[in-house]
Amino acid sequence: MLSHVIEELPQLIVNGLVVGTILALPAIGFTAIYAVLRFPNFTVASHATMGAYAGFVANVWLGLPIVPSLALAFIVPALSGLACDEYVLKPLRRTSAATGPMAAAIAAVALTIALENVIRFVFGNDLRGYDLPVYRDWRFDLGFAFLRVGPQQVENAIISVVVMAGVFTFLAFTRTGKMMRAVADNPSLAGIKGINAETVARLASLIGMGLVGVGGMLLGLDTSIDPLTGFRAVLTVFAAAVVGGLGSIPGAVVGAMVVGIGEELSLLVLDASYRTAVGFIAIIVVLTFRPRGILGERAY
Amino acid sequence: MTFLATRRAVTAGLALSPLFAPSVLRAQGEPIRLGTLMPLTGAGGPYGPSMRKAVEGVVESVNSAGGIGGRRIQLYGEDSQTNPDAAVRAARKLIDVDRVSAIMGTWASAVTTAVAPLAWESRTMLFTVSGADSITQLPHRGYIIRTQPNSTLQITKLSEFLGQQGAKRIFILAAQTPFALSNKEILEREMPKYGGQVLGQTIYDREKTVFRSEVDQALRARPDYIFLNGYTPDVTILLRELFRAGWTGGKVAPAYAINQRLLDSLPADVTNGAVTWAPSPDIESPAFKRLQALLGTNDPDPYSCQTNDHAALAALAIAKAGAATGDAIRENVRKIAQGAGERVTEVTEGLRLLAAGREINYAGASGACDFTDNGDILTCPFRYEQAEGAKLKTIRIS
Amino acid sequence: MENYLVAMAVFAGLYGLMALGLNVIWGMTGMINLGLVGFMAVGAYTSALLTVRHAHWPMWAGVIAATIVSGIAGAVVARITARLKGDYLAIVTLGFSEVVRLVASNEIRFTNGTDGISAIPGPFRGEVAPATFNLIYLGIVAAALLVVYLLCQRLRHSPYGRVLRAIRDDDQVTSVAGKPVLRFKTEAFAIGAAITGFAGALYGHYNAYIAPEGFVPLITIYIVLSLTAGGTGTNAGAVVGAALVVAFMEGTRFVVAEIPGLAAVQVAAVREFMIAALLILVLRYRPQGLFPERHARHATPDTTP
Repeated sequence: MLSHVIEELPQLIVNGLVVGTILALPAIGFTAIYAVLRFPNFTVASHATMGAYAGFVANVWLGLPIVPSLALAFIVPALSGLACDEYVLKPLRRTSAATGPMAAAIAAVALTIALENVIRFVFGNDLRGYDLPVYRDWRFDLGFAFLRVGPQQVENAIISVVVMAGVFTFLAFTRTGKMMRAVADNPSLAGIKGINAETVARLASLIGMGLVGVGGMLLGLDTSIDPLTGFRAVLTVFAAAVVGGLGSIPGAVVGAMVVGIGEELSLLVLDASYRTAVGFIAIIVVLTFRPRGILGERAY
Repeated sequence: MTFLATRRAVTAGLALSPLFAPSVLRAQGEPIRLGTLMPLTGAGGPYGPSMRKAVEGVVESVNSAGGIGGRRIQLYGEDSQTNPDAAVRAARKLIDVDRVSAIMGTWASAVTTAVAPLAWESRTMLFTVSGADSITQLPHRGYIIRTQPNSTLQITKLSEFLGQQGAKRIFILAAQTPFALSNKEILEREMPKYGGQVLGQTIYDREKTVFRSEVDQALRARPDYIFLNGYTPDVTILLRELFRAGWTGGKVAPAYAINQRLLDSLPADVTNGAVTWAPSPDIESPAFKRLQALLGTNDPDPYSCQTNDHAALAALAIAKAGAATGDAIRENVRKIAQGAGERVTEVTEGLRLLAAGREINYAGASGACDFTDNGDILTCPFRYEQAEGAKLKTIRIS
Repeated sequence: MENYLVAMAVFAGLYGLMALGLNVIWGMTGMINLGLVGFMAVGAYTSALLTVRHAHWPMWAGVIAATIVSGIAGAVVARITARLKGDYLAIVTLGFSEVVRLVASNEIRFTNGTDGISAIPGPFRGEVAPATFNLIYLGIVAAALLVVYLLCQRLRHSPYGRVLRAIRDDDQVTSVAGKPVLRFKTEAFAIGAAITGFAGALYGHYNAYIAPEGFVPLITIYIVLSLTAGGTGTNAGAVVGAALVVAFMEGTRFVVAEIPGLAAVQVAAVREFMIAALLILVLRYRPQGLFPERHARHATPDTTP
């Protein structure tokens, strides 16, 4: 039994890291929007799908390679996210300080169904795939276990890490990034300092949904593209964001890794069919000890 | 090219719609009302649209040949949303408002089981493609016809094939479905006849996006054949993972899982060698060729083949009965689908013969369409195909 | 057509019951619950397991057991999530309902798995014509709705209900005022869950069949939207909102059927889009719902329309 666990453990952890790096991007997008706008924007699901389709259009219809296609997977959901917030969600948040955020969250659920069906109307339900070769995994002999790692998954992980590094650099060193953090940490203080909360809110929607879109495309690279691509991942994304601490960007990364690795390790004791439950068990365990997530709610 | 496909679908819709328009229909007496309840959204979404087109094709050809006894068929369609709650409401509308005599094309087993009591209570015929064995065991009094083979037939045929391929050690990766367990039990019972065995089964949650560790579990059992018992979206991921993991052994999946769309969405290296099986007419069957042309693909998926037959069976049974009720279809569907009559593969040809007072035996795109008393298909030939260069090639029919 | 309208009225009534349940938890006490469909499933399964799968209790006993079991489930979930606020609670309860669905799918011996449970008895089903059964059931659901509505009205206007609203508006102040907030919250959650489970049990007996796939978060969304559209906090709003949501879901069928030139999948997409868009419009133009809560909060007088 023990030797069997030791044999499987490295592979499960690697697999979990692979899952985690892909989940991290949409989780960052979701949590970044939460940090600034203070409501869970449930349109994450359809914006991830939208990113996958935007990347598909760039890659297959326009014939672009994967990396430039990622740009379109960022831009289209980013603009849609911005438009959705400006025209649908923001007016709802404004109606009442007390019930507004929850009204906006609920409208976001309806909105994500609406967007899913716009995608379905245009593209139909047929499965799509990127024009991308699939490579055999690299295999490593660790002595006590074999380990396999996929070149594509390493590439996805690198893309994800590069994008995350970009986000952190932006937040840490640029004026706009600092403004965003200021608003996230203390909106009223930021207002006194003369930061335009409107602009920051727009940026948050734009960048947040853009990241969700890139995450959606990375997801599509590994799975398949159909109008439900984003929906399949979205519960895990929420779990990741909550485990890490809603509104905390490093927390989203940590949460994605915890949930990703946790789901894989659960296979040692649970049937694979219970995987979805693991994210929520993780939430309960983490929140029992830290009600605001592993890293709390500070944006950065 | 996919863009073109969408355009084609739109134009097809445009071309068809005048035929269904009420104004045209009222010119000819009371139309015959048939309904479809397909998964157009939700998890079954990848299958529903093509299933619907396969029905529209039959209705169009019946109507352009003058209808049934001068009456046109009017087709009503609702979306099951792959959800029993939504499907029950949709079925109520089809039954109580549109007063259809048959509902065709329910896909998810939960949807079919939820809708079934409404159908038999209102004496509406229900044609389904669902796989759960329990469906035909419901007390349906003959109001259910299921064109999808049940577990026993499906898996006995698979075992036979695997045995002949020399498969000895089989591992199953299965989506959590009503037939996952019974499929495994039957395979466990059948394989020893061919000197093979089932090493184990991992049931996965098909709403997940990564199945690396599930694939590892399968490989650790050191199988020589892996049976992917899922649906297109999850089998896509599994095939890719198997390739990455360096799997070179056998892989087999139902034909509805590995269909042309899956082959188009993955590189050929990944799918090469994958075997599928499904009930089949003989490959030269005109019914199958017509469906190929209608759907614009060489390999219509089994569900579309089946719904194509649902519509043909309903139309022929109504013609045979001379009445367009659910009871008429129930009483007559076996009279036109099996027996000593003249073999027919095209609905309008069948209508012509029936009008001339002849007996017919319909065989369609999905196979012989011969049914047991409780609505299951009798044994029939199966087609085994293998993916090669992103195309399915028939390796045998038996 | 009458039969169809009766059936849709039954659905609206069942949704209305669940919206009343949600109103106790969310509208009155301020705890968002996106796991409503989980309690509905607990109720439906409890009654189905006791009346057909594992025993043959009469329907009324099954329904009562379902109400109690889902109430207990609600109390347990409330205790586990006691320290969580707003958005965390939303996501954890959403997860709860998915876990319920997974258990129902995977514990095959106990629940019959994804095959679901069929032949759940209904009063006089099979003995009377389907249309009569529909009418009988509408009577049962209407009576249930009326009773639960009156109970909820009493709850809302009782001193107990005022404490709940005080917790909603500010639980710290309520706590300082000496009220055992945790106990009140747990009880409110249990009451709401019990009402939802009660509705779930009635739902199972009406449809005669339940399966895990029937208890997806989409139903929670419909109920939450019902309550929001009707007016969060008011019981009348919950009932009217549910009727409105069913009217949207059903009415759109007849509208999209008139659009020419679309493929079937596009028609389905347009329909789902329309339902969502209509609900967003209601939220946008009647932000307090069709039946706004009359007792405006003193803390935010400027938001009263």
